[in-house]
Amino acid sequence: MIDFTKVEPRLSQMSPSGINVPVRVGADAVHADSIGEPGAYPFTRGIFEDGFRGRLWTIRQYSGFGTAEESNERYRFLLDRGQTGLSVALDLPTQCGLDPNEEMAKPEVGKVGVSLSTLAEAEILFKGIDLGKISTSFTINGTAAIVYAMYLAVADKQGVARDKLTGTIQNDILKEYVARGTWIFPVRPSMRLIADSILYSNTETPRFNPISIAGAHVRDAGATAVEEIAYTLANGLAYVDELLRRGGDVEKFAKRLSFFFYVHMDFFEEVCKFRAARRIWARLMKERYGVLDPKAQHFRFGVVCGGSSLVAPQPYNNVVRVAVETMAAVLGGAQSIFTCALDEAYQIPTEFSAELAVRTQQIIAYESGIGRTVDPLGGSYFVEQHTDQIEAAVLKVMGEIENYGGVEKAIEEGWIQMRLAERALQRKLHIDSGETVVVGQNHFRNPDEVCTPGEVFRLDPAAAGRVIERHQKVLQTRQQSDVERALKRLEAAAAKDKENLLPYLIECCHTYATVGEMVGSLRAQWGEFQEPVRL
Amino acid sequence: MTLKENNEARDRAETTLRGRRILVAKPGLDGHDIGAKIIALALRNAGAEVIYTGLRKSAQYIARTAIDEGVDAVGLSILSGSHCELVAQVVAHLREGGAGDTQVFVGGTIPESDHEQLKALGVRGIYTSDMPLERVINSLAMELN
Amino acid sequence: MGGANAASPVLDRRALGRRLSVLANADTAAVIALDAQCTPYRPMAQRIGLTGSPGAGKSTLGGRLAVLRSLQRRIGLLAIDPSSPLTGGAILGDRIRMDEVAGVERLYVRSLASRSSADGLAPNISELLVAMDSAGFDELLLETVGVGQVEHAVRHQVDTAVLVLVPGAGDYVQAMKAGIMELADIFVVNKSDLPGAAQLVAEIQGVLHACPPSVTDWVPPVIRTSVSDAHSVAELSAAIDRHQCWLNTHADAAQRQLQRQRYRLRSLLERQLNEMVSSLDPTFLNQPLHQQVQSLLQCLQVGLGASSPRKL
Repeated sequence: MIDFTKVEPRLSQMSPSGINVPVRVGADAVHADSIGEPGAYPFTRGIFEDGFRGRLWTIRQYSGFGTAEESNERYRFLLDRGQTGLSVALDLPTQCGLDPNEEMAKPEVGKVGVSLSTLAEAEILFKGIDLGKISTSFTINGTAAIVYAMYLAVADKQGVARDKLTGTIQNDILKEYVARGTWIFPVRPSMRLIADSILYSNTETPRFNPISIAGAHVRDAGATAVEEIAYTLANGLAYVDELLRRGGDVEKFAKRLSFFFYVHMDFFEEVCKFRAARRIWARLMKERYGVLDPKAQHFRFGVVCGGSSLVAPQPYNNVVRVAVETMAAVLGGAQSIFTCALDEAYQIPTEFSAELAVRTQQIIAYESGIGRTVDPLGGSYFVEQHTDQIEAAVLKVMGEIENYGGVEKAIEEGWIQMRLAERALQRKLHIDSGETVVVGQNHFRNPDEVCTPGEVFRLDPAAAGRVIERHQKVLQTRQQSDVERALKRLEAAAAKDKENLLPYLIECCHTYATVGEMVGSLRAQWGEFQEPVRL
Repeated sequence: MTLKENNEARDRAETTLRGRRILVAKPGLDGHDIGAKIIALALRNAGAEVIYTGLRKSAQYIARTAIDEGVDAVGLSILSGSHCELVAQVVAHLREGGAGDTQVFVGGTIPESDHEQLKALGVRGIYTSDMPLERVINSLAMELN
Repeated sequence: MGGANAASPVLDRRALGRRLSVLANADTAAVIALDAQCTPYRPMAQRIGLTGSPGAGKSTLGGRLAVLRSLQRRIGLLAIDPSSPLTGGAILGDRIRMDEVAGVERLYVRSLASRSSADGLAPNISELLVAMDSAGFDELLLETVGVGQVEHAVRHQVDTAVLVLVPGAGDYVQAMKAGIMELADIFVVNKSDLPGAAQLVAEIQGVLHACPPSVTDWVPPVIRTSVSDAHSVAELSAAIDRHQCWLNTHADAAQRQLQRQRYRLRSLLERQLNEMVSSLDPTFLNQPLHQQVQSLLQCLQVGLGASSPRKL
């Protein structure tokens, strides 16, 4: 490994996405009349005219591992400490549509999230938590419609009215194909399932956000900030098109589309990318789809501060990184912020680090005052110019995708995946060579640094066994004939393009059908996605 | 390491890797494939012939592919935490197929506390995501020699 | 022909894998030495070639075809991908990798890099095919990428040549014109759900009909396929079966064998010559021509293992 301690890093001329940043920017770079006002089209300065004074962003943290009971305990701990919403992580078998007792599933049960194989597990997960009073966000995609159906089934059992339910399901399959990998079915039927869940939610659970179109994962996979926005907005347009195809009213469903991004370390690039995204989306909604209601033109998004910008060496540096990123998120106008824990890069966060992550947001919210006025950076010569430049760069990439034939084709043929891999290699080589500075990792390392994790949180190895046991018990005690009937109805509905599958999924959940069984019925109709391996 | 030493190591690596066949695989359900793809590209750039399996392959499939393709080494990329179980499965299937001498490398999020267990299974190199690519390639090449 | 031969040995995958690696890496001297050790073979496996330009979706189709045909016979799929001219490395198997399939025990997939081969196949491809043959496969599917020369190279190596085109390849068809008849026994228009598919089929058929009737009376069918349509893959498979049947009564197996033997010898010599000539410097090249030829011939002997090594 080359010794960097002798090399002083430079302040580079280019932003990480390759935009040339001038040393000085003056008034001539800004067109004052095109900036607009907060809360007014095209919303460059924010979607609400009273910003965070009207309503603070949602402080949202990650949790969920092992069994449903352990997760339940952890949730109640965090709710007591001031969290305003729950974030549920699911284990890989649940995400991929496998039951915990299947061969490929067994080594992965309960490892990266909670196992939610039947309604029984969901009931345990939310025991003592009033779904009518709390907002729950599920990071789930391939099986999102199923998990959402389960959530409604739990609410049914709690006696909570559906129109009280708030929260999110990520439900964004397009990015799964290119950056996260929990796809199941081919592109077309997956789009149908998503449209079904969105349209159903709009009517049944109007306060629920049935999709969170994510840019975060392509960012982690190596995309630049510009590409992150471009790929994500392109995906968003694909969902809008599918919803229109299935008879949705854009004035209605667009209000419940939300987005989700990473915030990385280049402060102004991050702030400006959000401003540019708001403008681009609003313009597309109005000009391409004729959307008139401002609420349906709004670009609403949540962010993750951290992710791949955090590193293991000198882990306390990550607290600083997350704080800087949180500030960028606030000044960029995010609706919800999830701050990563300092040890996220090398272990499952401890209670200590998880709490510190929440405190980071609270300090910025209540001590720094930067949220007091809406878009305080608006009108800044540099910020407005940089926003314009990012907008132009994003539109260029979106044009390239359209020229290729659209997102779905680009994904099926592996074109986006190939671009991401190339970009990721570039990024890795830049970090390895020290050209991209990562303090503590390539520059400013501590000689003889030994990275010892402090508190190491260990997953109870017997947890998986208990989950499988409970799963078997459900299989034995449920009414098998009800299950089979419900699954048959689901499969029949899947074959008919006109049917909305959600009522059938909810019915299946109520009979304690398993995730694997429901996925199996759909797979019988739709087949499986064939991954294009293209490098 | 000085720049000169670094370049010499890289030259040696490229000499070793030229024409060698390496399987890069994603066992289990982990869907993060960027690390695997980066390694595959870097190995290709160093002159190796790389077969990349794609996501969600069973241990049997990985072993069978390694055997049929006559690879010199198998690189397993795992970021889900299930590395110990999955590596054990792949090693077992390789042995069953008479290819117990195939060199196995592991990459991803591997805590140090698991290194011994993996080494005991026969893993020749453990490469975490933060390691510089060149170091990974050079180390892998050295093991293959 | 079809059906697992009761006399064929149980496939030792490990041994075959290793043997193929040795053969793929063998230099010309080694190839000659290895050949001396082998008993002359009688080609048993039916060979199918699959070529087409990149983007034709040929590799997906090849995978589906191999899987389908593996239900009834032992089939080996050799897939050739291009090596990077810069680094010499390659990413192989940029195609569907099939897990859990019904005929998995009867299916063997080997990915090859084209390396330095001039015609788009892999070095020692003749040796590799022979080795696969000896391992007891009923059928071999050879899949390559490229347009222009590789189709010709593949034509002689296989019994049934399949050329895969996609809508938009009209120019290629026009450019090839009558030459297209010689390239393939079966034409496939893949991604047939795309606009322009019917037009491309018509163009190919037009060119085929315009060709004067040849001595052979096999009329190449034009088949529309789409990977989302399993039936279309079955149709292609059936066309291959028909051609194989036709070959039994019409083909000149001896002639084909002769062409392959010529190819084998020629590629061996070409390879050796290429290696030698590419390293010649001005000192050598400025000699009188007859001297150059004499030195080269001597070195050729050495390179092919006929006498002791001597520096050029």
